[in-house]
Amino acid sequence: METENTTSEVSELESTFSVEKQKRIFKIIVIGDSNVGKTCLTFRFCGGKFPDKTEATIGVDFRERTLEIDTETIKLQLWDTAGQERFRKSMVQHYYRNVHAVVFVYDMTKLASFENMPAWIDECDRHSLSADVPRILVGNKCDEKDKIQVSTNLAQKFADMHCMPLFETSAKDDSEADNVEAIFMTLAHKLKAHKQMMNKALPRYNSTDMKRAKVISIGREKSGSSSDCAC
Amino acid sequence: MSLSSKKGKSRGKKKGLLKRKGSTGSSGSHGSGDIKIASDKKHKAKAIQEAMRSDPPDIANLRRLAISDGGLLRDDLRRKAWPKLMNVNVFEIPPKPANIRAHRDYRQVVLDVERSMRRFPANMKEEQRSRLQDQLVDIILRVLVRHPELHYYQGYHDICVTFLLVVGEDLAFAIMDKLSEYHLRDFMDESMDRTRHILGYLMPIVGKAHPELRDFLERSDVGTIFALSWLITWYGHVLTDIRHIVRLYDFFLACHPLMPIYLAAQIVLYRSEDILRVECEMTMVHHTLSRLPEDLPFEHLVSRAGDLFIQYPPSMLAKEAELEFLSSTTISCYEDFEMATNQKPDTVLRRRRRFGNSTAQNGDVKTVQLRKPTNLALKFAVWAISASLGAAALAVVNVVNEWF
Repeated sequence: METENTTSEVSELESTFSVEKQKRIFKIIVIGDSNVGKTCLTFRFCGGKFPDKTEATIGVDFRERTLEIDTETIKLQLWDTAGQERFRKSMVQHYYRNVHAVVFVYDMTKLASFENMPAWIDECDRHSLSADVPRILVGNKCDEKDKIQVSTNLAQKFADMHCMPLFETSAKDDSEADNVEAIFMTLAHKLKAHKQMMNKALPRYNSTDMKRAKVISIGREKSGSSSDCAC
Repeated sequence: MSLSSKKGKSRGKKKGLLKRKGSTGSSGSHGSGDIKIASDKKHKAKAIQEAMRSDPPDIANLRRLAISDGGLLRDDLRRKAWPKLMNVNVFEIPPKPANIRAHRDYRQVVLDVERSMRRFPANMKEEQRSRLQDQLVDIILRVLVRHPELHYYQGYHDICVTFLLVVGEDLAFAIMDKLSEYHLRDFMDESMDRTRHILGYLMPIVGKAHPELRDFLERSDVGTIFALSWLITWYGHVLTDIRHIVRLYDFFLACHPLMPIYLAAQIVLYRSEDILRVECEMTMVHHTLSRLPEDLPFEHLVSRAGDLFIQYPPSMLAKEAELEFLSSTTISCYEDFEMATNQKPDTVLRRRRRFGNSTAQNGDVKTVQLRKPTNLALKFAVWAISASLGAAALAVVNVVNEWF
């Protein structure tokens, strides 16, 4: 009897210890049209620079980065997806599973890539992601000032409508690198807060619990003005 | 895009395009082993030339040579042999259509080709590379315009560029035109459902050879997308050394269209120790699998992939994995392709396995035999087909007469 108790205590201790020691991992999927710069953005954030030669992504690529936030170590796993429509229909769905956040990317110099955003949002919804999974909208290539086709105003309205914060940046421009950093750091903070709440309420969460967990909307952070957001 | 219509003759100019060092493992020392390898190669090159020169060309033998150690050896031999393996009539290459820019996939093709710089030799002048990129767009759209039922996919350009670099624009088009109708057909549907179907063979093959590994991979929930770019680009997208890529193309052009997935399975099997060492979790396993080591032993893998194909043929797996075997156009039309070339490439593999690959490492053969299927009917089939190979080789008909 005594031995049993000790054993169970020890294993409990061990599991607590391993939970504490374990880095928390957040899975983020990056989506948007072909050639908007998804690979460059994720590379900039995870690799610290703009890649000199990027190719079309076939299927999905995976990059990760470990961060220290408020003395806690967390790991962001970025799933960089192919932009061509055919891939998203039957290939990429596997990667929507258990995703913690979604980054929508459009090219500020290509109106069509912005106009396709509703299709990407539909796509996301089709994978029955929980409404509380944070989503952010990123306009890339802001360095190409002469070629801008998507105004900040237009993008902001769209972002507000969908309760997302909007970021405009350039993965290419070194002076914008901090901005790329800020985008993912914002997300990391949000995810961290999100999960802490869940952990408090549900020490052993499962996917259903996760969906039920309440989240502070990240949409308010930058969008501000809109009042008709449902989230 | 340049639309100038140069005929095949200008291809010769590209001879020096690819850096050609001695094949892997044969450079450096001057031991007797090297001399033997060099003389074997000389002998093989002669055999390749003879197979092509015979009238009609000895396609069965050419396939055997393309599969066996070193493949077709050199790009000048590939330039002649690849079209023959694909039954391309080099004198009747359809001209370029005028309306390629109007094609629905034109924009996507240009985007992908513009980003394909890595696929060209690093020392190539920008002007030359840019001209080849124009040709690459043309090749892709020539195929697409001719076959409205075919849809472009990202990665198709990775296959085209390999052919462009080796055989030049017109022949690359002619080969891609055939390949797209047969080997790549399933990838070119409007949706990628049938591509998924082909990927669906991966785990059953791995499972046959290494059940624990399959179990591990399935528990990790890694899926099969890590192998997608291997499959649909014939490894062009994931390998850095063009010499490895063209070697694999020798192999694939000589084999059943499912061979790229057998090779994928073989690569996974080869790396089983690395894989089993990582945490059984999707991202970790995906990360490990999707990064191919630079130093993969391709000759070994090619040989073993061929063995896997013979041991666990697609028909056997389709049944086991409850896959809809006939739903694949690539697989079901392969018979037509075989009829057209009057060849049964699989028999080359079978014969090779039966008589032992002279270049295979002994260890390989042993392992393969350990896992030999006990199914008597299959053994009989392998034997019967092997025995009939002589007849098949003799039956090469006039379709393939018009070679240069």
